[in-house]
Amino acid sequence: MDFSWNDAERAYRAELVALLEAKLHENWWNDFAYDGPAGPELMANAREFNRELAARDLVVRHWPEAYGGKNASAWQQIIVSEEMWSNGEPRSSLYLGANWAGPAIMKFGTEAQKQRYLRPIAEGRVLWCQGFSEPEAGTDLANMSTRAELLPGGGYRINGSKVWTSYASRADVCFLLARLDGGGKSGVTCFIVPMDTPGVVVRPIPAIHSPHDFNEVFFTDAVAPEDSRLGEEGQGWDIVTTILHYERIGAARYEYSRRTLDHIVALLRARGLFEDPVVRGECASALAMVEAARLLTYVVIDGRAKDKPPSADTYVARFAMIQADHAVANLGSTYLPDLLVKGGDGMLHAHFTAAITSGIAAGAAEVQLNMISGRYLGLPRGA
Amino acid sequence: MDLDLNDDQRALQEVIQQIVSQHMEVPRTGPTLKPVEYFYADELDEALAAGEFFNVALSGDYGALEAALLVYEVGRSPLVLEIAGSALIGPLLTGQALPRPIAVARLADLTRAVRFLDRAKTLIVDLGDDVAVLSTDDLKVEPVASMFAYPLGRLAAMPDLAGARRLGAEAVEPLRRLWRVGLSLEIAAAMQSAIDFTTVYVKDRRVFGRPVGSFQAVQHRLAADVQKCRGAYWLALKAAWSGLELDASLAALYAQQAIASVNYDSHQFNGALGMTLEHSLHFWTFRLRLLQGELGGPREQASSVASLMWAEGRA
Repeated sequence: MDFSWNDAERAYRAELVALLEAKLHENWWNDFAYDGPAGPELMANAREFNRELAARDLVVRHWPEAYGGKNASAWQQIIVSEEMWSNGEPRSSLYLGANWAGPAIMKFGTEAQKQRYLRPIAEGRVLWCQGFSEPEAGTDLANMSTRAELLPGGGYRINGSKVWTSYASRADVCFLLARLDGGGKSGVTCFIVPMDTPGVVVRPIPAIHSPHDFNEVFFTDAVAPEDSRLGEEGQGWDIVTTILHYERIGAARYEYSRRTLDHIVALLRARGLFEDPVVRGECASALAMVEAARLLTYVVIDGRAKDKPPSADTYVARFAMIQADHAVANLGSTYLPDLLVKGGDGMLHAHFTAAITSGIAAGAAEVQLNMISGRYLGLPRGA
Repeated sequence: MDLDLNDDQRALQEVIQQIVSQHMEVPRTGPTLKPVEYFYADELDEALAAGEFFNVALSGDYGALEAALLVYEVGRSPLVLEIAGSALIGPLLTGQALPRPIAVARLADLTRAVRFLDRAKTLIVDLGDDVAVLSTDDLKVEPVASMFAYPLGRLAAMPDLAGARRLGAEAVEPLRRLWRVGLSLEIAAAMQSAIDFTTVYVKDRRVFGRPVGSFQAVQHRLAADVQKCRGAYWLALKAAWSGLELDASLAALYAQQAIASVNYDSHQFNGALGMTLEHSLHFWTFRLRLLQGELGGPREQASSVASLMWAEGRA
């Protein structure tokens, strides 16, 4: 058992840190990352930033060489996530491609799809969005109703709508779930659809955490070629189940919370509040929750690095992250609410808004608890 | 990073688990349990002593992590055995196998109630600026009755600390660190056992025609407790591995703060049966009750974390 980073991992992190220090603008948090990784300024900046990452082979180093990677371990992937998320995710939604859309294509895609989609991710040229949730299918994803119809001459006609879709207004491509024949989980099929496909319309939805994050995406007779389907017809649920294990802990929220907590302590100290034992105690408790979330995530990464099959540990780690996010966010709103206003503290605001989404995105907290109940504890299903 | 045990550690863990598994049954007299506060695991003590497991931290390449595995596995039993002092704190603090059982206490607690003091052969005392190690042969110890499922004792009179063996001021930090690691492991183990015990019960017990464990209100709380329990376990192991004061304080803080919900939920879901002595739940939950406030409780662990993590000039 060894909890330490090796020399290569430390060097990799140092390389990332140096790049971030060099490339993130002055007033990064307030001017670019204030509204999170879907903010228009950050997404625009990400195009250039991602090319810089790619030029240094820093986008998909954990991928196989055949697809533009360097065969690096899952540990290097989590290092990237820690450094990026704790800086407001300057890659924007490139991380979706690098973390799980790319691996899904590697696992389920045709050779032609691998050639078409993987290289652009590795080269940092494509921003993704994820078309999963619908007005009547959020947590209950299998209830989705967006339909894909096989056309006589080949290809699929897609009709329906997706909602609460992050990044959609500026993304290049959508990892879309649509239903062919069959209800429930059967019939769910994955498609990769360019966002400039005729019939695809995006409408932003202002939200409490950000005016830019959520979108509604309408598909009206949008035609996707047959080779836009990922995997077999009806295989979508299996694919989603697989990739969600990557998505749930793909964003290293604990590191973001950890650095935000350090920032909060500095702000509290500057105001003379940190000498209060109650305040110190609350900060310490939040830190313990953050470090528990970190270790529980590392347990999952360790399994991934050893090619172990996904387990219920993923849900345990995700739930721990949610608790840690909120513990830190609550410190900010309790003791520093004046810095959460417009023009206040950008890092504090960005983390606070990210924490709001923490228990909802990537499967609601209650879904994680359901999964722990069933798969970890083996409790019987309810009526 | 490699979070698996190595082959030697895994073999050690398996042997310990095999031994402990033979000492998981609470002795019964007749159809009901004897109305006692705890059952001391004398036979487990003998089995571990015969295999020299109490000296594991001083054996070859082994150290705190291997001792931690022992403390955790022994802590899973409903029977109680003094293990953290004997296998972790005493050996790594002094480099010796001290006469055991070993009680560990702060000076102010000696005349109150100290875990294992009524059975201890050695008493280690945190004096604040020094550490004293005493034989209990010449101490006048009174047993303390309680509901806490631990043997407790207190000193009838303060000992002659001036003549006691002193380890010096430099031993204070290692004592508290090792104590916190041991405490974290004992808590993680008892919480895991309480959750396991409760899980079995709610799968079997039916209400309104369904297993208790099929209700989402029950499932979610138990699942949240699992997360806390696993967090406590990994923080404790990391603290044992790293030897860092901050890690130990974080582990103890997290574990002590997790107790409230794990204890509450375990008892709620075991219902009235969980309140009876014939049900074993209290052997873990009432140990946890006492561990909740040990070493100053979360207030002092948090104070330690804040001082170590955010010392002036660091944040």
